[in-house]
Amino acid sequence: MTTTTTELTGAGAAPDAAPAPSARRRSSGGGLGSYLLIRFLLIFPTVFILVTTVFVLMRLTGDPVTAALGGRLSGPQLAERVHAAGYDRPVLVQYGEYLRGIASGDFGTTISDNRPVTEVLTTYGAATLELAVYALLVAFVVGIPLGRLAAYFRDRWGDATLRVFAILCYATPVFFFGLLLKLVFSIWLGWLPVAGRASTGAEIQLQTLDGSTGFYLIDALRLGNSEVVADVLQHAVLPALALGLLTAGIFLRLVRTNVIGTLGMGYVEAARSRGVPERRLLRKHAYRPALIPIITVIGLQIAILLGGAVLTETTFEWKGLGFQLTEYLQARDFVAVQGIVVLLAVIVAVTNFIVDVLAALIDPRVRY
Amino acid sequence: MTSGSSSRRRIVATAGMAATALVLAACGGSDGDSGDSGSGSGGTLTIGTTDKVTTLDPAGSYDNGSFAVMNQVFPFLMNTPYGSPDVEPDIAESAEFTAPTEYTVTLKPGLKWANGNDLTSSDVKFTFDRQVAIADENGPSALLANLESTEAVDDTTVVFHLKAPNDQTFPQVLSSPVGPIVDEDVFSPTELTADQDIVDGKAFHGPYTISSYDFNNLVSYKAYPDYQGLLGKPKTGTVNVKYYADSSNLKLDVQEGNVDVAFRSLSATDIDDLRGNDKVKVVDGPGGEIRYIVFNFNTQPYGATTPEADPAKALAVRQAVADLIDREEIADQVYKGTYTPLYSFVPDGLTGATESLKGKYGDGQGGPDADKAAKALQAAGVTTPVELNLQYSNDHYGPSSGDEYALIKDQLEAGGLFKVNLQTTEWVQYSEQRTADTYPAYQLGWFPDYSDADNYLTPFFLTENFLSNHYDNKQVNDLILQQVTTPDPAARQALIEQIQDLVAGDLSTVPYLQGAQVAVTGTDVAGAEDTLDASFKFRYGALSKG
Repeated sequence: MTTTTTELTGAGAAPDAAPAPSARRRSSGGGLGSYLLIRFLLIFPTVFILVTTVFVLMRLTGDPVTAALGGRLSGPQLAERVHAAGYDRPVLVQYGEYLRGIASGDFGTTISDNRPVTEVLTTYGAATLELAVYALLVAFVVGIPLGRLAAYFRDRWGDATLRVFAILCYATPVFFFGLLLKLVFSIWLGWLPVAGRASTGAEIQLQTLDGSTGFYLIDALRLGNSEVVADVLQHAVLPALALGLLTAGIFLRLVRTNVIGTLGMGYVEAARSRGVPERRLLRKHAYRPALIPIITVIGLQIAILLGGAVLTETTFEWKGLGFQLTEYLQARDFVAVQGIVVLLAVIVAVTNFIVDVLAALIDPRVRY
Repeated sequence: MTSGSSSRRRIVATAGMAATALVLAACGGSDGDSGDSGSGSGGTLTIGTTDKVTTLDPAGSYDNGSFAVMNQVFPFLMNTPYGSPDVEPDIAESAEFTAPTEYTVTLKPGLKWANGNDLTSSDVKFTFDRQVAIADENGPSALLANLESTEAVDDTTVVFHLKAPNDQTFPQVLSSPVGPIVDEDVFSPTELTADQDIVDGKAFHGPYTISSYDFNNLVSYKAYPDYQGLLGKPKTGTVNVKYYADSSNLKLDVQEGNVDVAFRSLSATDIDDLRGNDKVKVVDGPGGEIRYIVFNFNTQPYGATTPEADPAKALAVRQAVADLIDREEIADQVYKGTYTPLYSFVPDGLTGATESLKGKYGDGQGGPDADKAAKALQAAGVTTPVELNLQYSNDHYGPSSGDEYALIKDQLEAGGLFKVNLQTTEWVQYSEQRTADTYPAYQLGWFPDYSDADNYLTPFFLTENFLSNHYDNKQVNDLILQQVTTPDPAARQALIEQIQDLVAGDLSTVPYLQGAQVAVTGTDVAGAEDTLDASFKFRYGALSKG
């Protein structure tokens, strides 16, 4: 977790500042359309660079077949397998083929368990997405109100306590925090399950559902069995807290800083001089504008969440992409690793685009 | 004032929601993972494991996790009954050599796959033909090296034509990972078949069928009522197997009763801890895994290609190592009893196992003897301390290898007879270098392909062996070849014992540990002791609860 103070306060909030005349002209002249087009087109070079970087990094370790099967096959068998997979061809040829495969949705076949990588991505992607949604929910529910509270108690004990809490949230390694939660809530108190996405009985019932989405909560709701819904939620609590509080700490500090910033703005001072009560000032004039930067930070947080998901999923045996990434890394299955990392990179790139769009729609200044 | 109250209420409500979610979830109670749904007439049992499935297709996997599934759902021609390492006909009525190179198997009549298809000799021929045709690198087709062809004579008769005559290990091969029979209407003849196609095709005829399958997460088995094999009707109607990545999570779940049986692989420390827990039972059985030190006869101290080459001195060095190793201490201190001392080349529990090394080396009772080691070295004129480069792999035999070899180094150096240079290498490089004469002495382990003594002799002690350690004893070589083709069980056993005695004199390897099979069960679970046998197959049908 390396988010800097600049990032936390970077978006700033100055809704009272009048746009410059030139800016107004550009805005009214179709700036949003060209901004969105440019942002959209930027996805392609971004993804291309990411895919290339992943490919190069993976190839630096040698060919994937030798990495996975070296030591298990004899020299001739290994050479035959390397040849069959085409890893003895020039790297540029392999790279071109890899790009063509990705373009057609073919990420190759895993070496360790012989599954199409696309199947791995679709099977486990839903679990990671579900966890990310839970985590974001925790981050919003915890981070935003507490940030507002911290701003309200600015420079008092309440503020100091919340700031320390925020630092602890984003400075504590997510796996350590996960273990701590397990120790307290699963082992000492026995309240919540140790690991997994659902208990055996619930999972068996979920498997009977036609057209499973892979999102356990949605599937449990479709099943219409409240016990299964409760079971799925129980299993989600600790992983969601472990991952969500990481982001909640950042949101807390961001909201606090921005609320305090907007409270000092001219338009707020004007409202204050008109006799608007402090709490109303905070709620109506300072709080809502201070939330805008949260949108932009979500883009950054998605990358952090996905990184954190690898550790959280492993700690809680939440069988998503992060968990599988660890498993494939241990098996030295770099075909699978490459596919998962590329998908995660694409998710981050696309999410950032969506966030840019939202930010541009909400705050016209962003377009410039 | 109104807005202030509203704001406070929202804050309180938000905090309340988070807390309520936690409390509600907690109050919902973790009611266990024992899976009460879908119970069959014989009840439900949940098993936890850290093993992984590679594929359900027998042509594409050769690992414990995949074979564990196959043992429950696929039929074998030959199989091991509970409590025995020796094979008997499974779905076969009879199986015998009808000519030196013909092994004839007659199937029981009226066999059916779970999908209703007839299970006939045509399926058997298809099974072995596709194993040979696919020959997947991850698969076990190499075990069919002696198979020339398979012939389906009629619906129930199959003849295996062998290359070498009277191969007494062939019946065992039929019970090994290459042996599961598959449905020719479901499996592809030329490539691996996807797990889901196998499950959807209900291509099962074992004690169980798979009723739901979530790859390496949860597999649900239901007893197959038309199973006609050796193992009989399962004691439990529904078995769920939950796959864990982290053995500590498995330990917690078996401890809390969320799983009924934990089998493979809790850590030695966890098992030791659970032995003192009243909520669970720890059941031990013989294991097929062995650990041993290999000597390279060319590069070990005084080896054939060293400047000071001297076969007598080289033998004395190996003897001294065998005298000094304290197996009991390694098993207890490093592995907390999850491994047991091994004093021979064929592990305890298998037909033909002896303890050839026990009386010959150390104190004669299994303990070390430094004086005896010193005398052996002195008698051969070896200058002490002997400098020995000892290599082990840090990533292939579990996290305890470092402790294991640190202890071995201590034991060898304790009396000042050896100066051990302990070195470690990552497995990929290790496996290349060990056969390139790089390591004078090194660690290896072995999991058997099937539960026959030959599987611990032929790969190691023939002149051309997989160790590539330049061990060459013509008498041993000939006896190994002889025992493989000796039909009389008693005569064959005598030969196997003689081979072990001879190799104990040569010390091509020094075996020192045998892995135990350990299952941890709830106190209300029975039957684990019946299936933790020298077949090294964990059969769920033996387990019952309540």
